[in-house]
Amino acid sequence: MFQFFTLMLKNLRRNILRTSLTALCSMLLVLVVTGVWSVLDFIDRQTEEKANDFKVLVTEKNKAPSRLPRAYVSSLREGAARGPDDVKPEDYMTWAFYGGTLDPNKMTRENFLFLIACEPEKAPTMMDELDQLNAADTARLQDAIAKMKKQANAVIIGPEQLKLMNKKVGERFTVNGLIFKDLNLEFEIVDTFPDAAQRYGQTSLMNLDYLLQGIDEYEAKTKKKIANGADPIAFVMLKVKNKEDYEKLSAQIVNSPLYNSPAVRCESAGSAVSTFLESWQTIFWGMRWLLAPAILGTLSLVIAVAISISVRERRKEIAVMKVLGFTPGHVLTMVLGEALLIGLISGLLSAGGTYLLVNKVLGGIPFPIAWFQRFFIPTNALWWGVAIGAGTSVLGSFLPAWNARGVRVADVFSKVA
Amino acid sequence: MAADEEIVRVRNVHKYFTRGSERVDVLQDLSLNVPEGEFLALMGPSGSGKTTLLNLIAGLDVPSEGEIWVGNDRISAMSESQLATWRTRNVGFIFQFYHLLPVLTAYENVELPLLLLPLSSADRKQRVMTALELVELSSRLHHRPGQLSGGQQQRVGIARAIVTDPTLIVADEPTGDLDSRSADEILKLLATLQHELQKTIIMVTHDPKAAERASRTLHLEKGRLVVDTRAPQLK
Repeated sequence: MFQFFTLMLKNLRRNILRTSLTALCSMLLVLVVTGVWSVLDFIDRQTEEKANDFKVLVTEKNKAPSRLPRAYVSSLREGAARGPDDVKPEDYMTWAFYGGTLDPNKMTRENFLFLIACEPEKAPTMMDELDQLNAADTARLQDAIAKMKKQANAVIIGPEQLKLMNKKVGERFTVNGLIFKDLNLEFEIVDTFPDAAQRYGQTSLMNLDYLLQGIDEYEAKTKKKIANGADPIAFVMLKVKNKEDYEKLSAQIVNSPLYNSPAVRCESAGSAVSTFLESWQTIFWGMRWLLAPAILGTLSLVIAVAISISVRERRKEIAVMKVLGFTPGHVLTMVLGEALLIGLISGLLSAGGTYLLVNKVLGGIPFPIAWFQRFFIPTNALWWGVAIGAGTSVLGSFLPAWNARGVRVADVFSKVA
Repeated sequence: MAADEEIVRVRNVHKYFTRGSERVDVLQDLSLNVPEGEFLALMGPSGSGKTTLLNLIAGLDVPSEGEIWVGNDRISAMSESQLATWRTRNVGFIFQFYHLLPVLTAYENVELPLLLLPLSSADRKQRVMTALELVELSSRLHHRPGQLSGGQQQRVGIARAIVTDPTLIVADEPTGDLDSRSADEILKLLATLQHELQKTIIMVTHDPKAAERASRTLHLEKGRLVVDTRAPQLK
């Protein structure tokens, strides 16, 4: 077995340039497929329904972007429960958005800041992945949240956003409001999101109370109603145990007389993300069903061409091996094995290299879709790479291997003589 | 010679190919016995069918009609895979152009057929060393074919043919690509294999001098045996 393996390696070494080019091409294509699949995998995970810990988004029914009155918040946090049999949410989080520029005279991307206004203490339990941080990062996040609760204008800003703004923890700055026009708020940066919470690299978190208080003070001071000031809430996120509770709670809220103007609707977090990404669906479809298969096809073709050339060059050697007693099965296995070796090694190197390069060096793939700014290569990509390399190499080399298997000794040597 | 001493028995063999609608008869109603330990030369003009006959006896091809037996095996009825397995143990093949695998050393080339047998690494090594010593190439173990002369390559080819201790050694013009001195050495080596190891050898050749080394010479013409000549000492 080992000698057979050695023979395959030696066959690959006979034309190092061709083997290297084939491997390089495979690596490049595996890299692209891994990147594409990483984006799709992330989106899929965001839009998939969870069996437990269901998150429900209560939004305005007929308008986008959704705007809900402040008065809805307190009853929604209770899930509009009125009777003892009604489902009550296990947890909640209220979301509003505030954004503006750090310099009204220089409206650049670097100067624009978008903040999620919420109850800070709800972030660790209601925001995905923040509940999966290690003990040290959790403690750090809790410290920052404690500071936000104590100090109304405290903000947590993602490390990438902080770098973009060229600010440091401890610095103060003023945002000139654009989402709530003319509502200018001053903030102090108390911390960043931990590096492990990679998806929050460009996210900023502020106190909802600070926003609401800002709106009230502005209106009291100027005697003018601020645009969107009456309905500043984007949505309320509720957590329930399972799908059954989700359905009951949804019915409870939608049928409640409390929410008539405007009417509300409930959807699962996955479904809400899906709705939000509606305009991207064609691109995702193209990536999933056109781009990825086209790359896989190209990869198989590259392997097929390289192995075909190799087999054609070695017809005599294959015939000699058959004379020595190698069966058609041995020949098929040897040729498939050579292709598999190229595929496995280049797949593993490419996936491993992509993982390290994208996650550790580049800090994610900069592919802004909706509020997702960067995509990271999941650990699963390590086996995807190997599987892509192995699968396409076997597929691509099967026909040349089958031809090699069928080499007729008498034909080959009658031509030689 | 008694039938049970005949290692190769060819019975009424026809071999034909079809080219379009035309049938080309290469061998016609050919019968032949080769006793164990004989050194047989097959001669004849180009296209007379000698290589085809050699390929049939070596199990590289199957006859269109007729039977071929080697020892107790009716090889004319075997499948391609069965023939491959059979060849490993029973046939050593020597080619005109050596056909060594260029990526392997002399040692590895000789070892190649042994990879198909259930042998330990130590057993394989012992057999390879014995075969290479027999062809006086134990000092060139780690040389690749490109680093060896034609005569040396052919000796590696012979070592590869005998390493599995086959019943039958077949050689297709083994001296056809060699100068006269190297050719003479190879023929001596084949004669040694016959005399000292009692190997049965069937050799196709155009060279009358090479055929002189054989104990019997068969002449083929248009797919039929026309002359059967025994070497003087055996007549």
